Amino acid sequence: MPLLELRNLYKSFGGLQAISNVSLTVEEGEIVSIIGPNGAGKSTLFNLITGVYKPDRGDIFFEGQRINGLSPDQVTKRGIARTFQNLRLFTHLTVLENVLIPQHHRLKSGWLGAVLRTPAYLREEEKMREVALEKLSFFGPRLMSFRLHQPVYVLSYANRRRTEMARAMATGAKLLLLDEPSAGMNPKETKEITQIIRRFRDEGGYTIVLVEHKMNLVGEISDRVVVLDYGEKIAEGNYHDVVNDPKVIEAYLGRREE
Amino acid sequence: MMRNHLLTLATVGLVTLGLYLLTQMDGTSGLLSALRLIFIWGIAAISLNLINGQLGILSLGHHGFMLVGGYVTALLMLPEKERRPFRTRLLSDWARDNLDLDKWLRGLGLDFIANSIDLKFIIALFIAGLAAALLGVLVGAPSLRLKGDYLAIVTFGFGEIIRLLPNAPEVAAFTNGPLGIKGIPGDAGTIWWTFFAFLFVLWFFTRLKFSSYGRAFEGIREDEIAAEAMGVNLAYHKVLAFTISAFFAGVAGGLYASYLQSVDTQTFNFFVTFFLLVAISLGGLGSITGAVIGTAVVVLVRNYGGFLEQPYPAWVGYLSGALLMLGAFAFSAYIRKTRRLRPVIETKHYIFGAIGLALLLVTVFFRNEPWMTQTVQFFGMRKILLAVILILIMIYRREGVMGRAEFSWKLIFGPREDIPSEEQRKQDAWLSNPELNPGASETKEDDDASA
Repeated sequence: MPLLELRNLYKSFGGLQAISNVSLTVEEGEIVSIIGPNGAGKSTLFNLITGVYKPDRGDIFFEGQRINGLSPDQVTKRGIARTFQNLRLFTHLTVLENVLIPQHHRLKSGWLGAVLRTPAYLREEEKMREVALEKLSFFGPRLMSFRLHQPVYVLSYANRRRTEMARAMATGAKLLLLDEPSAGMNPKETKEITQIIRRFRDEGGYTIVLVEHKMNLVGEISDRVVVLDYGEKIAEGNYHDVVNDPKVIEAYLGRREE
Repeated sequence: MMRNHLLTLATVGLVTLGLYLLTQMDGTSGLLSALRLIFIWGIAAISLNLINGQLGILSLGHHGFMLVGGYVTALLMLPEKERRPFRTRLLSDWARDNLDLDKWLRGLGLDFIANSIDLKFIIALFIAGLAAALLGVLVGAPSLRLKGDYLAIVTFGFGEIIRLLPNAPEVAAFTNGPLGIKGIPGDAGTIWWTFFAFLFVLWFFTRLKFSSYGRAFEGIREDEIAAEAMGVNLAYHKVLAFTISAFFAGVAGGLYASYLQSVDTQTFNFFVTFFLLVAISLGGLGSITGAVIGTAVVVLVRNYGGFLEQPYPAWVGYLSGALLMLGAFAFSAYIRKTRRLRPVIETKHYIFGAIGLALLLVTVFFRNEPWMTQTVQFFGMRKILLAVILILIMIYRREGVMGRAEFSWKLIFGPREDIPSEEQRKQDAWLSNPELNPGASETKEDDDASA
């Protein structure tokens, strides 16, 4: 059973067919990249999976269960977490708080228990803190010491991206949807993020779907590449086959006039 | 940790002792009633702050919830003889005669509670809170799907509807219509219950803010879409915060009704919400400490600003104007001289100071002229003073006195965890600087990486 399965998805905005007849399966432990020119529907696909939009037609299955029609928070509870193309961190909260909030949905204590600080609540809080530190330690010591207690708005751009990934991991998801994880990073940081994404899979056991424009990052880590153009899937396969596919070249570069 | 708890306990003990001494002294009734108002409005401001500050939703219907709390407390506490003059129409006399906590308690055989007006008052306050909370759910559940200005308008509308309902003949059996309820026993409303309620509210909201639920609320404030994508159930948390806030607004309303010993629809008009909004914006949206500070400033200006509205000879006005201008000039000159970047006093500052000086000289030279010695009186100076304070806060410290921060012993005595030690700073520089740390990333620089 595939971890994530999209069957014949359709989505239109008014007259614009943003996604048409896209099917895709993601097996557990895979890294799948979705590429395509601007406006190809990559982000729309993410929004459909995470429940921000409802598909017009078609079904989304996660671990064999149908998840289309669920709200974003319910989708996250099932085990899909995402990052955003333009960072959407809780800017005025500290790094630690940013990584604690995604664990809130697993809290069993009610609000009264939380106010009374019942032993059960305190245990859960302690557990949440441990998980948060564990997820942040994926990025080495740079977010660990005093940075934990600093508000996000003082962090550098790269550190914010790292915080956002740690936040997505902290939801307890199995599947991470990364929307341009290396946007705004310099080549060196891109290298580092490439290694980290691989470590997510190898050490963290996450399955990863990412949207990315930097081709050498895609080529380096993807098990499979899916190409979208005008909302349709035009190619799928390993990196080398896909980039040499004439349809893909046409989508990116256009056709030569005969 | 231990030390901070002890400090908190000691502070509470000292404040309680001080309050006790105040109640024993003569001539402190004015101060005590100001303190009571600070506590009552403080409770209301802290509860409004949960929605407007922590959840980041503009709600303008708080006076409605306070009114419900006020009326419910009034009705439950009202003695038998005060109920007689109520006019009743559609609802029978039954409602008027039986909505009485005293009767309920005696009916349950709990005479010992019914005999103690203090216990009765607490129970009435609790029921008042529950009634307001119920209304909070009813108002919040349908309207909280809206955002921003739209929600503000809807909550304002609901608040006004709730406020005008007691005037309707259909509910006059409960509320005595526009005449309002008078003769609420005031003896249960001594400063102590207000003070303890205030302490409880401080404790409750601080605990809530620094719990997982408080973090979820702040996450919603920072970014709703991200919070939802991170698994926070928006509808549940918004309605939860709204309900808790409405509960304590009801409690504050009950306390205020018992402070005034009367309640009618004008007691809780829109200016109540407006006043609370001023208080929390002044203190800092999202900060409990700030809400208390803001309320204290507003109440103190309103209670003790009376001297500003007394009749004075005109030269007092000119003189204070001149001194204010000179003081402002001296202050800004000092600030500008001591600052590191470009320590210049600009021409406009000198002009401002010169006008102040000229005004001072005019006052001194013409002090015996009739236009200097005539008596003038400015009504509304207190409101102007409040407005000026608010303007200054908005210009120089837009996030309010406290911003989003809370008072804590850690802030004063340390240790501050967010400020790096010298060692941590070095380590951080080492981590992020490739020249100091060539081995940080095993791969070499590759300029084509972003091709």
